[in-house]
Amino acid sequence: MAPLLEIRAARRDFATPEGGKICALDGVDLDVGANEFVTLLGPSGCGKTTLLRAISGFEMLDSGTIQLGGADLTALPPFRRPVNTVFQSYALFGHITVARNVGYALEVAGVAKAQRDVEVAETLEKVGLAGMGTRRPSQLSGGQRQRVALARAIIAKPKLLLLDEPLSALDRNLRQQMQIELKNLQHRLGIAFIFVTHDQEEALTMSDRIVVMRAGAIEQIGTPRDIYRHPRNRFVAEFIGETNLFAVTVDRLEGDTALARTAEGVEVLLPADGRKAGERLTAILRPADFTIAAQGIPGTVTRAVYLGSDLHLSVAPEAGGPDISVAIRDGLGVGEGTRLHLAHDPARVHVLEDA
Amino acid sequence: MALRRQSVILGALLAPVTLFLGVFFVLPLLIIAVFSFLTPGLYGGVEWAFYHWNYGRIFGWADGIMEVYEPIYLRILLRSLIFAALTVIVTLILCYPVAFWVSGLPDRWRLVFLFLITLPFFSSLIVRLYAWLLILKPTGLFNTVLMNLGLIGQPLEILYTPTAVVLGMVYVMIPFMFLPLYASVDNLDRAQVEASLDLGANRIQTLVKVILPQTLPGILGGAVIVFIPSVGNFIVPDVLGGAKGLMVGNLVEQQFLSSRNWPFGSALSMIIMAVVLTVLLIAVARARKVGGHA
Amino acid sequence: MRNPWGWVALTAFSLLFFTFIYAPLFVIIGYSFNSNPVNMMIWEGFTFDWYTGLFGLSDRATGVGNRAAYIESTDQMLAALRTSLTVALFTTTISTVIGTATAIALARYRFRGRGAYNGFLMMPMMMPDIVLGIGLLIFFVTLGMQLSLLTIIIGHCTFLTSYVFIIVQARMAGLDPALEEASADLGASEWTTLRKVLLPQLAPGIMGGALLAFVISMDDLVITYFISGVGDTTLPVFIFGMIRRGVKPEINAIATLIILASVIIAALGLWLRSRKID
Repeated sequence: MAPLLEIRAARRDFATPEGGKICALDGVDLDVGANEFVTLLGPSGCGKTTLLRAISGFEMLDSGTIQLGGADLTALPPFRRPVNTVFQSYALFGHITVARNVGYALEVAGVAKAQRDVEVAETLEKVGLAGMGTRRPSQLSGGQRQRVALARAIIAKPKLLLLDEPLSALDRNLRQQMQIELKNLQHRLGIAFIFVTHDQEEALTMSDRIVVMRAGAIEQIGTPRDIYRHPRNRFVAEFIGETNLFAVTVDRLEGDTALARTAEGVEVLLPADGRKAGERLTAILRPADFTIAAQGIPGTVTRAVYLGSDLHLSVAPEAGGPDISVAIRDGLGVGEGTRLHLAHDPARVHVLEDA
Repeated sequence: MALRRQSVILGALLAPVTLFLGVFFVLPLLIIAVFSFLTPGLYGGVEWAFYHWNYGRIFGWADGIMEVYEPIYLRILLRSLIFAALTVIVTLILCYPVAFWVSGLPDRWRLVFLFLITLPFFSSLIVRLYAWLLILKPTGLFNTVLMNLGLIGQPLEILYTPTAVVLGMVYVMIPFMFLPLYASVDNLDRAQVEASLDLGANRIQTLVKVILPQTLPGILGGAVIVFIPSVGNFIVPDVLGGAKGLMVGNLVEQQFLSSRNWPFGSALSMIIMAVVLTVLLIAVARARKVGGHA
Repeated sequence: MRNPWGWVALTAFSLLFFTFIYAPLFVIIGYSFNSNPVNMMIWEGFTFDWYTGLFGLSDRATGVGNRAAYIESTDQMLAALRTSLTVALFTTTISTVIGTATAIALARYRFRGRGAYNGFLMMPMMMPDIVLGIGLLIFFVTLGMQLSLLTIIIGHCTFLTSYVFIIVQARMAGLDPALEEASADLGASEWTTLRKVLLPQLAPGIMGGALLAFVISMDDLVITYFISGVGDTTLPVFIFGMIRRGVKPEINAIATLIILASVIIAALGLWLRSRKID
C-alpha cells in the first residue's frame, strides 16, 4: 500500500541576517502511512518545525516534493491543502466564540449554518468540551484551549493532522493526561498524526514511529523501541534517554563474549559476533541495563537520587573515566560513598561500529 | 509562484502610502528647497532664477543693495533654539518626578492619573493657550490674585514676554514629555535600584549611576519630540509672545502671509528643517549606541 | 527606598503638577458663566448668555457688537464647525485605510528596505507642521490648485496616515502571527483571512488610530492655517482669528464646549483601549 504522505528530497535554506545561509531542510525523505502516529524529534533548530511548516504550506520548499494520497501539494498555498494544524500557541481567534472557532473551517468552506452547528457540537463532544461552545477562548483554561485548538483542526476531517509542540504550554500532569487522550483520539479518528516535540519522553510514549532530526537532516527513523535500543549513532543515543557511552577496544574473546576496555581500563562485555581483538568501537548501555553484583565494574557511588520507584546512581569507576549512570529497582542500603560492582548482560549492549 | 502573488499583495498594500506621501509630502519638501534658491518677485510670487541672497540675508553675505543683512534673523533663530531647549528642560524637570510618582501608585489610581495626563492631548491646543491668555493678562487671574493678596502693587508684565512663550510651550508640550518618560520609568528594574542601595550607594549615587542611565531612552525620546515642534512653533509666540517673544516660525508665517516673500520664507524653513534633521540624526545615533550596549 | 517624607513631598509636587495642567481649563469654564462682559475677573453673577449668544439666541452683545453682528459670527462659527467635521471625517477615513494597509504590509512581509520605509513613515510626524504647511501651500499654488476643502483634507492626510500607521502597527506587533496561519490552514484564502481574522483582531487598534486621527484633524491649526481657502475656515482657525481680535466672553463659551467635547472623546478612547479583544 502506498504511504499517505510522501516527502522526497525536501530542501529549504534560510538566509541569515549576516548574509549567510542556514540549511533548515537538507534533502529530507519521509513516508507516513495512513493512521500512523509519527513524531518529529530533535533539538531546537534541527528543522523539525520547518518540515512541519513545509507540509502545512507555510514554508515553500526550495526543491523536493510533497505528495499526499498521490496528489502533489508542493506548490499549493496552505488554504488549498487537506491538512490541518494544531499550533503551539493554539492560535485561537479571540474575537469569536469557541463554537465559531471550531466551526471556522466549515464556515470558510461555505457549509450551511445548521449543518455547521451539528458538526461543531459533535466535535466539541469528541474532545470533551460539550456545551462550552458559547464561551470565549479567554474564558477557558489552558487545557480547554488545547482541546478547542484540536477540535478546530479535526472538524474538516483532514487526512493528516499536524501538531506543533501542542503540549509544551501545559503543566506536567495535564500533559501526561493529554498524551493519552491524543493517542486515543488518533485511534478513534483513524487519521495520521505528525507530532513535533523536543521532549523525548513524550515521543517515546505516543509514537508509532519516531523521526530523529539534526541540522536539517534525518538521523534515524524507527519505532520508539528501535530508537531507544538500537540508536544508529552517538547523537541519537545521547538525545534519546540517559545513556552511557564507552569508547572501547576489544581485548580478547572468551567463548560467546568479547571483553573490551576503555582507555582508562573500565571493562565492558559484548557479544562475540565474530569480533577481533584490537577492534575499536563504542558500546552503549542504558542506566537500567546495570545490576549491582558481586563482580563487574568496581566503583563508588557519588550521587544517589530517588526518582519515583527507581534509584538513580552516579558511579565513579575505580579505573577512572566519566561517571556511569545507573538506575536500579531495589537500592536498599545503597547511598553516596557505597562501593559496589556493576554487572551487565552482554546481550543488552548496543554497539556503534565506527568509533 | 507563491512568491509572485505575495509581491503583488505587498505592492497593493504599499502603493497608496507611497504614492500619497511621495506626491504630497516629499514633493512639497523638495519644492521648499527649490524655492529657497529662487528670486523673490516684486509683488509676491517668484522669478525662476537662481538667487542665494535669501540665505545671505540671514547669514551675512547679502549684497546690501537688493538684500540687506539683518543680524536680527540670526538672533531670532538663536532665540528659537533657546526657547525650545528651555521648554525641554522645564518639561523634563516637571515630568520626571511625577512619572515616578504615577508609576508608584496602586493600579487603579495609576490609570486615573495616566488618563488625566493624556486628556489635554485630546483637547484643543488653541483653547489651552487661550486659557493662559486669560490668566496672564494684566487684568487676568494671576495679577488679580497677587494684587488682592497685597504681594504686588501693580500688575506684572508677563504676557507678551519670553517667559509667557516658554510657559505656554511647556504647558502644551507636557504630555509629549511625560509619556515616553513614564514608559521608561515604569520599565525601570526596581530590583537594580534596591541592589544599588543595598551595595552601599546613597540616593544621589543611585540616581546618577542606576536610575538616570536606565531612564535615558525615555529622557532622550521625550526631549526630541518636545524640541522638534517647539523650535518651529508659531502659534504660542503669536498668542502669548510680543515682539520680544518672536520666534522663527513667526518670521516664516510673515513671509508667506503678509510680506509675500516666499523664497525668503522657504530659506527660513530650510533652516528649521536642517535643525530638526540634525536633532533627529543625533537622537538616532545616540539610540543606536545605547541600544548597542544593552 | 520609600522614605515616607520623600513620598509625601513627591505627592505634593505631583498634585501641584496636575493643578498646573487643569487649573487653566477650569478658569475658562468658570469665566464662561460670568455675566460681566468687560472684566471677566470681576464676578457679576451666573449667566448662560454667552452660550445662548453663540447661537444667536441672546440679545446681549459685547463690545460694539449688535445682534446682527452676532448672528453673522454665529453663522461663521457653525460653518467653521461644519468644515472641521467634514475635513475630519474624510481625513479619518482616508488616513485610516492607508495607514492600516501600510501597517499590515510592513508587519507581515519581509522585504529589502523595510527599515528605511519605517523611518520614512515617521518623517511626516516629525516634520514641524509649519514646514509641511508652507510646503503644501507652495506646492498647491505652483500646481495651480485652488485652496479648498480638498487641499485641507490632503494636508491632514499627509501626517495623520503616519499616526494611524504607528497605532495599528503596535497592535499588529502584539498579534500572534499563528492566527493568520491558523486561518489559512483551515482553508481561508488571504482575503477571507483579512476579513474574518486580521481586521477583527486589529479593530481596537484601527479604531484607536481613527479616533486619534479625528481628534488631531479637528484640532489642527498650523497646516490648515496655511492651506485653507478663503471660505473654508475650520474651527481652530476661526477661534485663532477671534483670539487675535481680542478676548471676548463668547470665546469662553466656545472653549468650554470644546473642552467638554474633548473629555467625551478621550473617555471614549479610553473605553476603546480598555476593551480587550482576547
